[in-house]
Amino acid sequence: MRHYIFLLTLLLGWGGLSAQTITVKGTVTDASTGETLIGASVIVIRSDSDASTSGTVTDFDGSYVIENVPAGSSLRFSYTGFETTEREIGTSGIVDVALGADVQALEEVVVIGYGTQQKRNVTGSVVTVDNETIDDLRPVKIEQALQGTVAGVNVTTQSGAPGAGLNIRIRGVSTNGQNAPLVIIDGYQGDLSTVNPTDIASITVLKDAQAAVYGTVGANGVILVTTKTGNKNSPTQVSYNTFFGIQETSKTLNMLNATEYGLLLNESYAAGGQALPYPDASTLGRGTDWQNEVFGTAPMLSHDVTVSGGSDRTTYSISGSHLNQEGIIGGEKSNFTRNTARLSLGVDLSDKLKLTTNAIFTNIDRDALSENGLGAVLFNALNAPPTLPVFDETGEPSLVPNTPGLGIEVINPVAQIANTFNDYDLNKLNGQVSLDWKALPGLTLTSRVGFNTSNSEGRTFSKLINYGGKVFDVTRSSVSQNAINDNNYSLDLFGTYQRTLADKHNFTATAGTTVFRELGNGLFATGFDVPNNDWEFADISLATGTSPEGARDVGSYSYDERRLSYFGRVQYDFQERYFLTAMLRRDASTKFGPENRAAFFPSFTAGWIASDESFFGDEGPVDLLKFRVSYGILGNDQIINNGYIGTLSGEATYVFDGILVNGTAIGALPNPSLQWEEAKKFNVGFDLALLDYKLNITADYFINTRDNLLISNIPVSGIVGTSAPGGAAPTVNAGAVQNKGLELAISYQQRFNKDWKLNVSYNLTTLNNEVLEVNNGTGFIEGGAFGVGQLAPSRMEVGQPIGYFFGYQTDGIFQNASEIEAHPSQIALGADAQPGDIRFVDTNNDGVIDPNDRTNIGDPIADMTMGFNFQLEYKRFDLLTYAFASLGGDIVRNYERALSDVNRLDYYLDRWTGAGTSSEVPRVTTAATANGVFSDFFVEDASFLRLQSVQLGYTLPFKAGAKRSSSLRLYVSGNNLLTLSNYKGFDPGASSGAPIGGGIDYGFYPIARTILFGANLTL
Amino acid sequence: MSQRNIFLTFVLLLLGTSACEDDFIGRTPVYSIDSENYFNAEADYENALIAAYDLLQATYLNVMLGEIASDNTLAGGESATDVIGIQQVDDMIHTPVNEQLKSIWNWMFAGVNRASYLLEFKDKIEFDGKAQILAEARFLRAYYNFELVKWFGPIPIKGDVRFALGDETSLPRASVEEVYAAIESDLELAVADLAETAPQVGRVSRGAAQALLGKAYLYQEKYAEAAEVLNQVIQSGNYQLSADFAGIFENTGENGPGSVFEVQYTDAEGAGFGCLQCSEGNVAVGFNGIRNHTGPVYDSGFSFNVPTQAAFEAYEPGDSRRDVAILDIEAWAAETGAGFGTGYEHTGYYNRKYIARKGDSNIGDQNLTNPNNYRSIRYADVLLMAAEALNATGNDEQARDYLNQVRRRAFGDMDHDISSSGQALGDFIQVERRLELMGEAHRFFDLVRTGAAAGAIDGFTAGKNELFPVPFEEIQFSNGNWSQNPGY
Repeated sequence: MRHYIFLLTLLLGWGGLSAQTITVKGTVTDASTGETLIGASVIVIRSDSDASTSGTVTDFDGSYVIENVPAGSSLRFSYTGFETTEREIGTSGIVDVALGADVQALEEVVVIGYGTQQKRNVTGSVVTVDNETIDDLRPVKIEQALQGTVAGVNVTTQSGAPGAGLNIRIRGVSTNGQNAPLVIIDGYQGDLSTVNPTDIASITVLKDAQAAVYGTVGANGVILVTTKTGNKNSPTQVSYNTFFGIQETSKTLNMLNATEYGLLLNESYAAGGQALPYPDASTLGRGTDWQNEVFGTAPMLSHDVTVSGGSDRTTYSISGSHLNQEGIIGGEKSNFTRNTARLSLGVDLSDKLKLTTNAIFTNIDRDALSENGLGAVLFNALNAPPTLPVFDETGEPSLVPNTPGLGIEVINPVAQIANTFNDYDLNKLNGQVSLDWKALPGLTLTSRVGFNTSNSEGRTFSKLINYGGKVFDVTRSSVSQNAINDNNYSLDLFGTYQRTLADKHNFTATAGTTVFRELGNGLFATGFDVPNNDWEFADISLATGTSPEGARDVGSYSYDERRLSYFGRVQYDFQERYFLTAMLRRDASTKFGPENRAAFFPSFTAGWIASDESFFGDEGPVDLLKFRVSYGILGNDQIINNGYIGTLSGEATYVFDGILVNGTAIGALPNPSLQWEEAKKFNVGFDLALLDYKLNITADYFINTRDNLLISNIPVSGIVGTSAPGGAAPTVNAGAVQNKGLELAISYQQRFNKDWKLNVSYNLTTLNNEVLEVNNGTGFIEGGAFGVGQLAPSRMEVGQPIGYFFGYQTDGIFQNASEIEAHPSQIALGADAQPGDIRFVDTNNDGVIDPNDRTNIGDPIADMTMGFNFQLEYKRFDLLTYAFASLGGDIVRNYERALSDVNRLDYYLDRWTGAGTSSEVPRVTTAATANGVFSDFFVEDASFLRLQSVQLGYTLPFKAGAKRSSSLRLYVSGNNLLTLSNYKGFDPGASSGAPIGGGIDYGFYPIARTILFGANLTL
Repeated sequence: MSQRNIFLTFVLLLLGTSACEDDFIGRTPVYSIDSENYFNAEADYENALIAAYDLLQATYLNVMLGEIASDNTLAGGESATDVIGIQQVDDMIHTPVNEQLKSIWNWMFAGVNRASYLLEFKDKIEFDGKAQILAEARFLRAYYNFELVKWFGPIPIKGDVRFALGDETSLPRASVEEVYAAIESDLELAVADLAETAPQVGRVSRGAAQALLGKAYLYQEKYAEAAEVLNQVIQSGNYQLSADFAGIFENTGENGPGSVFEVQYTDAEGAGFGCLQCSEGNVAVGFNGIRNHTGPVYDSGFSFNVPTQAAFEAYEPGDSRRDVAILDIEAWAAETGAGFGTGYEHTGYYNRKYIARKGDSNIGDQNLTNPNNYRSIRYADVLLMAAEALNATGNDEQARDYLNQVRRRAFGDMDHDISSSGQALGDFIQVERRLELMGEAHRFFDLVRTGAAAGAIDGFTAGKNELFPVPFEEIQFSNGNWSQNPGY
């Protein structure tokens, strides 16, 4: 057989050289308007699949000419936004073509987990973000491409620092454990955070019971990532993208200048009966603007190259990328570098056997500064007194005085940046090999191995440093290093059988198994007395000292977690009009004890394409109307490992004979009866396409109820000893949370004529979160932190949104003594009220203000989020805008240190200074007040509208008649140019992502405002 | 392959994976030891004993808060809301919602449970020296239970087995008498098996168990038993009053001749606010430390637990203990040029026995890792307890002798000997306890057990404040099984 192929190839090759060639020409037009299309790609597809494929693009008149085209070839016409069309070349050599609009809704194939489905036939709530959106947004991290583009998906930044993590929440927070969705990359379990966005072809989000095929890991929703592959019978295409960006902070806070600060302190000291610290404040001037000292402009640079193509049996795609981003605080001290390399290969081993494989190598190098809370650079910049110069007379960074008014935590942020030394390096390899075998007509068997293996190293140098008696003084230098290994693999084996009966009944059945295992370890060590007190020498091999005897300078951990799953799915439709899908999955996991190790997760989805009914008729504006409904039970097993057995992982350290001795103690208390979290997902919705698919509307209503919520370290009676060092309370199935909401997505696309094209889309999500059950004895779980030594500010409690803020309600300011007289005593909050202090509400009307008066004063969950996207193309120019809005969430201002001499925000200029002067901002005094207790004074509206991206591009075609559809697009883009919000802090959109304790702003690193200059080159 | 073969192969593969489910999922956790399959060697018992000792370090909070509760010191700190739970206890306005009281409850029960864990497996294997280990565990459990009964009164008692989840809804709070019976039982068993000299510095000696037993008797007003067992400690000859009173509270004076039992701390390991009970250092010392101190001898701290003017003035002229117990910060600043800040409730005085000193390694957080041992049971305390018991049983002569031993050291002469008897002598003994043990967390409980608290402590309500409230959450967890202490 092989000989024949060889001969055949030779013959055809010979034929190619000698056969008759003709010149083909023609015009490409828009079918709907009749206007000519400029820059449409015309590619010759030769019957012999010779690699030297030729082609061109249309010129300004929409016409093209290709010479030496072998007779019998055909042409492929493609143009963004239009359906790709192939035509055979007739003898005339003239091929005019009118391209129709790309009706993606009809043809597009969507991955749905262990298979694909035509988008038209999908009956779950499934949304796809394609690579055009990703290309438009140019995200540094791929999670950003989901913000505002998909209804029901909310992405929050943990920090604006380069390389910082992002949290994705699909349809809200349902558990106080792990809320992150499952990420599946090309079929295997993966991780979004390290992926190079340009390697991604599409992202599909499964929001409802459609995810049930992933059973126990699908409760938080599933994100399916498909990476790029080459296309068959395509010439080698090279694309190169680059951009250079300048970043600066998107916001600085309005702080007091030195004069304002001096005067305020004088007033404060006078009110406290103390001597004035600045008897002559007039000489202070503006002083030091610490934010100016720490914020800077920082460069950002990205390159990536992709080479792809394919013959009729193979496809390939090879890419490499480099990204370097410096931080807007500390520049290279918070540098992030990512390099990736990727290879994707598809080979048809035979007509029935198809192999696809890809591998991605990622290298990340990240340095970081202290963030969030006491000790953060920004915290210091906001609290350091403006009267203090950055450097003292000797040129050294000046020391923030060690006084009661400034505390022992505030240090010079400039010195802090200079003294911060750390490094994190990650090397990761992930990929998959899969084999599809068309074993029988209609039956395809797939086996796949996916893997992730990563090694990371961390190093932190604690320099010997004196900040003048502050808690950050280091009296002995040390270097801490760690090495962490994380590995996992997934093995899939499944079969898909398709059959059509009587031309009407279509069945697709899928059944299979997945084995997932993750294992790894971490090793930690610290060395003391670093030579020369210098980062250059900061390695354990050079450090000469150890801790005193008995203290352990080393640590380690290991894990080995496994999951074994079986699943089955039957999809049935009648005439592609009535759809029904049923799914069942059984999972067994090492997270649970023998009795509860395995569980079943059933679900179904159904759909009806009403527009196919005869009563709709063929005419009329409605192209597609599909109703969908789904219900299913999914699971969540994302809890601590081995929670069902007691292990000796506690801490037992004491001092005998003057030295530390180590023993053994029980760690977390076990719960042998642990079982799965159950997510019950109900969804009903419709898809509507109108006006030749120009207008698309999708609406969904969902109710997600999470039962048997796994609550780790749930508070239990102290008598069982869970507060011992290294101990922890058990993980218990002890709660229920419900999320309800509405999602709406509308998109409209219109090509007016050959010059103008418009794309507009809008999406909206409402979310209503309620805790239904907290079964731990107290009925609530606390979390978060506010101020120093205060009661926990966040709660999960029945009848309230998860993580709502629990504090005092305020009722203005006491204007005079008689108002105080008329009000219940506030002494229990720490001090008797004086005129100018905050008046707290006696919510339980018991005649005293005490901790029992705390109540719901807000919650961090936005009631409504929206995304808005606008794209306009005019000739070779394109303009696009992405905006995102979040309405109705609250955020807690917790970056102000409650000390008398720290700097303050300028809202204190409007403080109470006498009867009638203010009913919002309390007086300043060094005397004891209750004004600092956690109240709604510190809770602000976190609603915001952010212009995420504005981009203007211009596409230069390479001269008409070139062999390929080559183009160069130049663009300038502005990210986060504008945020409209009343929030006083840096970023109303930032959150730690914690279910209980989220939405508390410890001084979040603001996201950067970035101007990018970029080029996309396609050859 | 035929259709049938393909199908069969597929089914076999599926079955194959399911057959190994038990092997695959039923794996044993890597590198971990099952807590229920332990105690297979002597070393296992020794390791578990260290765990039981570990919680002694968490008693820093009992010591600090106990002193603040008394009339000796004020809460202090940075502001009126700095650690609100401490401020409330100082002002006697504490409620069942109190983070620090909750910690004391939780940590002491953690200690009880760690001792009970070892005792639960006491019969699993035999080896030489087991009796000593079990005796130490019994002492430790008695120590933790004694703290619990002092603070909270009736508490659940379970015997030689750990508390399990659900016990809070079924086990009653045993009466104070029953708790003391359990403490006495543990200590009697411990005394029988403990070595006279502890095997290592920091471990329990027989004298320590006897002294704690004597203290437990005293708290129950079982004076005859108290006098007997405390006399045994005194007559053992193992302890003596060290001549240099000031030296006792310095690093060099740790585990000295007058040390009957000491909680051991070290600066060898770092600690953080996230887990104060995990610190190997004495957290109270950093909290007590001088606010913003710059100068010799002392490190700075958070200015909690500041002695009152009245406490300073309680000392007679010539009493060398005043300046050991209380640092007059202004005098100190004038003398040495030291700088200091003024915190909340600044009295000008610091609890000098337990404030941070220079010379330790200051591993971060340096305020949490001070190495100062807590002198839990001092020989002077034993003498004064014995004197109290003897006075109560009519042996005033012996009582006076013990009392005056303590006074002679304090004044360096015999001119300040007490010669009274009866109730007057008893009153002198109580005053002496305050002065000798100032700053050492005995005062509040002495006032309570002698019925003198209401007259001495501002805000103290008789019939209520003798006990602290059981944490709010615990009452909830008990689901009606436990009722709150009276008055809360």
